[in-house]
Amino acid sequence: MNFRAVFIAIVIGTGLIVSAYIVNSRRPAIVTQQPTADYVKASGKCAECHRNNQYSIVHEYEMSKHAAKGVTCLDCHQVLTGQTGTNHNGFVINNGITSANCRACHMAVYEQFARSRHAAPSWVAVVGNKDFSPEMIEQMEKLHPGSMKRAAHPLTKLEGESSAKSGCITCHAIGKPNADGSIGNCTLCHTRHTSSVEIARLPSTCGQCHLGPDHSQIEIYTQSKHGIMFAAQQNQLNLKAPSDSLTTKDMFIPTCATCHMSGLNGRGVTHDPSERLSYNLFAEVTAPRPNADRAQAKMKDICLQCHTPPLVDRIYKEGAAVVDATNEKVLAAKSIMDSLKADGLISTNAFSQTIQFTYFDLWHYYGRTAKHAAFMGGADYVQWHGNYPILQHTVELKEQAAQLRKENGK
Amino acid sequence: MENNWLRRPRTWVEVFVLFNLGGLAPDIFLAHSVNAFHSRAEYTPLIFSLVAPMLLLPALWALATGRSALWRGLGFLVGGAAVIIGITGLVLHLQSQFFQAWTLASLVYAAPFAAPLAYTGLGSLLLMNRMVSDQKIEWAQWVIFLALGGFAGNFIFSITDHAQNGFFHRTEWIPVISSAIAVGFLVMPLVLKTDRAFLRLCGFVMLAQAAVGALGFIFHALADWHNNGENLFLRIVHGAPIFAPTLFCDLAVLAGIGIWCLSGTRPRAACDTYR
Repeated sequence: MNFRAVFIAIVIGTGLIVSAYIVNSRRPAIVTQQPTADYVKASGKCAECHRNNQYSIVHEYEMSKHAAKGVTCLDCHQVLTGQTGTNHNGFVINNGITSANCRACHMAVYEQFARSRHAAPSWVAVVGNKDFSPEMIEQMEKLHPGSMKRAAHPLTKLEGESSAKSGCITCHAIGKPNADGSIGNCTLCHTRHTSSVEIARLPSTCGQCHLGPDHSQIEIYTQSKHGIMFAAQQNQLNLKAPSDSLTTKDMFIPTCATCHMSGLNGRGVTHDPSERLSYNLFAEVTAPRPNADRAQAKMKDICLQCHTPPLVDRIYKEGAAVVDATNEKVLAAKSIMDSLKADGLISTNAFSQTIQFTYFDLWHYYGRTAKHAAFMGGADYVQWHGNYPILQHTVELKEQAAQLRKENGK
Repeated sequence: MENNWLRRPRTWVEVFVLFNLGGLAPDIFLAHSVNAFHSRAEYTPLIFSLVAPMLLLPALWALATGRSALWRGLGFLVGGAAVIIGITGLVLHLQSQFFQAWTLASLVYAAPFAAPLAYTGLGSLLLMNRMVSDQKIEWAQWVIFLALGGFAGNFIFSITDHAQNGFFHRTEWIPVISSAIAVGFLVMPLVLKTDRAFLRLCGFVMLAQAAVGALGFIFHALADWHNNGENLFLRIVHGAPIFAPTLFCDLAVLAGIGIWCLSGTRPRAACDTYR
């Protein structure tokens, strides 16, 4: 036997084995420390195909904090109780991710969201409360009076299913109940594969739904000093700052999220955008919300991170005055409508007479706009997009009411 | 019929290549089904694997009947094409991901970059079989060299393939260790004047490789059986590559031919010359 050859052969073999072991041991923990082999495969196998087929989702994921923290595709796409799994190239995945998947890691955030008006009430506002249990309806009704005990919005029937599906429901799906028992979908604000805090903090993200005459917050914000300064100095903000350590040094110009949700300078972060709101400004006739004083104190506390107390108090005082004045105007119009109803001149079918549109526009468009703008620094929206059309519609409403009475001899 | 043609090592190599090229057809079909033959170029090796044996069969007949020119011509044609297909496949596989991100991770998740080199190896065997006489020691050394290349490829394969699931099962290290030892032992007859006892030891190492291949086939089959998928075909396509471990058996046979000749256990000139 040629022992020299045997020795060298073993040395070469051992060298190769040791090299392989060293290379493997230097691989990142995400691909070596996983609970199952499927999770390991998901750390790279998914991207292998999707990089070619849907480059953007892989690229977006790679830029995300999830990727940086070692969250794999399968972590989010796992099939939870109540969800339907799909066989997908050797994996069983959930391709209809809901907030339940996010809740698996972000429980506290989900709980904040679930008690917010973004959750069940926003879905009920369009399709009614048929999708929720009586217990759920009662529970949410306590938090948001009048938000759950309601039928489907009449416009969904009048305008048709396609309009509702591609229109109202697209935004209001933020509170859609899911088969797994959860509500909504976090990706509506955080987007899918970026799972981005930065994107959720952008005014344009809120503006994808909070726009238009019925809830014109993005237009008002854009016109406000906050919006103007954001447009000018956005690049200097640290929109990616972690929510639990966000300071005014990161966000010295506020976006919607800064005031309504962020834990600025140690203030607690919340995913309930109603938590700091003291009025039901969206309502026909605005009343203080439950726990209005506590909510207002919380919002003022956020305002004070940048503004002095006199300014904050003045804004609230002036805002309250606009609320009272708008309520008066709406109530005056409402009394005309109530009187017509009492005399049988208003159809029980919603949106079937011109005067019904006039009144609806008066409070639902211009009343809301004036009230929101008063608190958000949108002067033009208080006046020309708010009170002026309220006046115009009041005059029109009175004329239409008189015409109705004349036509019907009442 | 040429005398003793069946006993000539070059005939064994011809048969080896014929079966291997044909055997690659189902392997390629499964491998490229993963992305549903996304690119038309992916049909090339499949078609080649179906056509090549049909050309090599007459070549084998020509070898048996002493029609040397036909045997050489068909062999050079198929061998040359196989070499080109293998190298082109290597580049295309690397283009699937590695050329976009030159990292080890992308190498792991790129299409198995060394796999197409199986064609290059088989093509080289055909070419070598026609360029070097099997009466010479050089012929046996080339056979061992190409088997060595195959085991080196197996070593890389075993690492990158099993790295995809992070060597989650410790048994996944078996082919890495096994192929590394095979490489170590097959290098020796090429660089040192090894004696017959060492070559016999090499033979046992190759037997062990064949056993590893059979074991791997069983492991891969079991993994596929328990894999997620709507049917067995999809479980195999997206699961552990069912035929990959059989490459160990295959290469053990090829190396065995080279070792057999080199050791002179057969009364062939090449081995006699060496002795």
